[in-house]
Amino acid sequence: MSRFVALPQGVSEATFAKAIQEYRALLGEGRVRTDPASLQSYMKIMIPETEELHKPSAVIYPKTVKEIQAIVTIANKYKTPLWTVSTGKNMGYGSAAPATRGQIVLDLKTMKKILHVDEELGYCLVEPGVTYYDLQQYFKKHKMNLWVDVPAPSAMASPMGNTADRGVGYTPYGEHFLFSCGMEVVLASGDVVRTGTGGVPNTTSWQANKWGYGPYVDGIFTQSNYGILTKLGVWLMKGPPPGGYFPFLMKFPKVEMLADIIKTLMPLRLAQIIPNACIVVNAGWEAAGYFTYDKNGKGTNRETFYKGKDSLPPKVFQQIMDKYGVGAWNFYAAVYGSPEQVALNWKYVSGSFKQKFGDQVKIITQKEAGDDPIFEYRRQLMMGGSTLQEFGLYNWRGGGGSMWFAPVAAARPSECDRQMRLATDVLNKYGFDYVSEFIVGWRDMHHIIDLLYDRTDMEEMKKAYRCFDELLTVFTNNGWGTYRTNTAFMDKVSHSYGPGMRDIHYRLKRALDPNNILAPGKSGIDLNPRNPGYAFNEGLNRGRPLDIP
Amino acid sequence: MMINQSRRAFFKTVFTAGAAIAASGIATQTGTAEAVNPCRIKGVCLFVPSLGKANEFVAEMNSRAPGEWTAHPLKGEMMDCYLEAGRLYEEAKGTANTFVGVVDPATFGVVHEAITNNGGSFHYIKYEERNRVTFSAQL
Repeated sequence: MSRFVALPQGVSEATFAKAIQEYRALLGEGRVRTDPASLQSYMKIMIPETEELHKPSAVIYPKTVKEIQAIVTIANKYKTPLWTVSTGKNMGYGSAAPATRGQIVLDLKTMKKILHVDEELGYCLVEPGVTYYDLQQYFKKHKMNLWVDVPAPSAMASPMGNTADRGVGYTPYGEHFLFSCGMEVVLASGDVVRTGTGGVPNTTSWQANKWGYGPYVDGIFTQSNYGILTKLGVWLMKGPPPGGYFPFLMKFPKVEMLADIIKTLMPLRLAQIIPNACIVVNAGWEAAGYFTYDKNGKGTNRETFYKGKDSLPPKVFQQIMDKYGVGAWNFYAAVYGSPEQVALNWKYVSGSFKQKFGDQVKIITQKEAGDDPIFEYRRQLMMGGSTLQEFGLYNWRGGGGSMWFAPVAAARPSECDRQMRLATDVLNKYGFDYVSEFIVGWRDMHHIIDLLYDRTDMEEMKKAYRCFDELLTVFTNNGWGTYRTNTAFMDKVSHSYGPGMRDIHYRLKRALDPNNILAPGKSGIDLNPRNPGYAFNEGLNRGRPLDIP
Repeated sequence: MMINQSRRAFFKTVFTAGAAIAASGIATQTGTAEAVNPCRIKGVCLFVPSLGKANEFVAEMNSRAPGEWTAHPLKGEMMDCYLEAGRLYEEAKGTANTFVGVVDPATFGVVHEAITNNGGSFHYIKYEERNRVTFSAQL
């Protein structure tokens, strides 16, 4: 029996032991862990696969770029793959667990320096372990009127990790990669590269100018395994003056109203009257946020309303909407600027929706919302604040299972409506509910669907896997790509973007990481693909022979 | 005792599979337990308020795993639970040898991250049912 929890594919125990010895000589035993207790938190996954498939062999905690360079050298020598995480909060996308068994987790949460915050131009330069909350506390401490755009688990996630995965937030700076500027990357060769203008000696504009000169390369270090990001520039919003932030909620009673909601909001979004990545949230998601306990300690969740194992019937959905006073669709957005601009823009916004929907829309401003916890959660997100209220979703169905299905749509009314109907049909077929939000981008929609299921029920796990697989197939067949996915389905999503893209991804991998030591399997890129023979998915993506372009 | 019978099952699990292991310093795989001398326990127990009151928890834990117990309800918004769990874990590092809890899945989500962010790891994590998680963190 091996003395290690797991081994990298193709690496013998003796070779792995030598590698660990070298890592420990570099960093000490405390920063190179192979014991089960230290590895357990990296196996806490929410996707419907067994932990065995994602078991790491070790975890390493570097503190400096030089240490990472030395780690990469050892990794090349012994072919020990490194799965890099910044804070590892990719919940519902695979968390901190490697895509494949036996990889060493390179946990960068110990690199926590906020290297620079420029209040004048509104940007910062951070290390991987810095969280959004750390930045907010820094602004507060130094009395800086700056906002950083956050994803929903804002307090614990990092700008580095979320940007590297091309995550999105809810302020006008919601498209995180778009508002990043300048990276430092350790390549598999051990070389360090600074992108944009970062290579110019004594540069003053590394975080001010995105493009530099020649081919722009930052994109190839996102959703990729071509390098290890060690520094990232992030653009920050100047906070508006007092009275310059006006969040609001509009509730709509019928599911069929989605297309008209999109039709009304997009002209306002394109004109920047509503400048932020606003959200159209369905009743399931909205109700899940209101999880409460009664006096007997019983939680009010899905089970309170429906004991069946199939999806919620429409009648029950209506009961839930009535109980919590939520709309079939709930549109959260904000207007920003001077108080005068806000007042004027609010007239345009409220006028447009009243004209279209009349008394079918219920409009709620901050004043009317009072201390409503869900309005507060959205208000925080749209101003780059800290909230973890989204975790409430995990109480709705229970059992600890969650997968984000995240297709994109062009922001056209009919397209959003079709996606909603198709997703609902597929989810209901497997007994799951449609729990979703549309995050409104510049011209696209991130249609975020939380496939909630019970990980303690093996049958439900299998169904969740097959449901997700069918969602991907159906959406791909309709011409819709997925902007991000979990570690169980990266290969399948990669194939959905066509052979040309896979070919160039693999050419880059061979050129930059010929030993395949950086996060094999990330985004379906792996020079030595393995077929784990997973019991749940015979005949599905992991069960078929894998091809390499 | 005010804590009703159905809730006692959680304490039993916390005791047998969490507190005892934590006090022993034995790290184990998820879901296994080993008996140890419980008199060495200096314990912290986190819980969601619906399960009872702090003094009830302390009494129950002391009756099943004699030692010095404190119990802390995690209430308020998820952000508050996250910060409180992190603070209590940090505090426990120097003063306790056992850190256990019984919470709902959402609260567990933030507690898990609060503990790992503070350098912690877990002996034991178990979904007792789809709405209830017990855990024991390593100190």
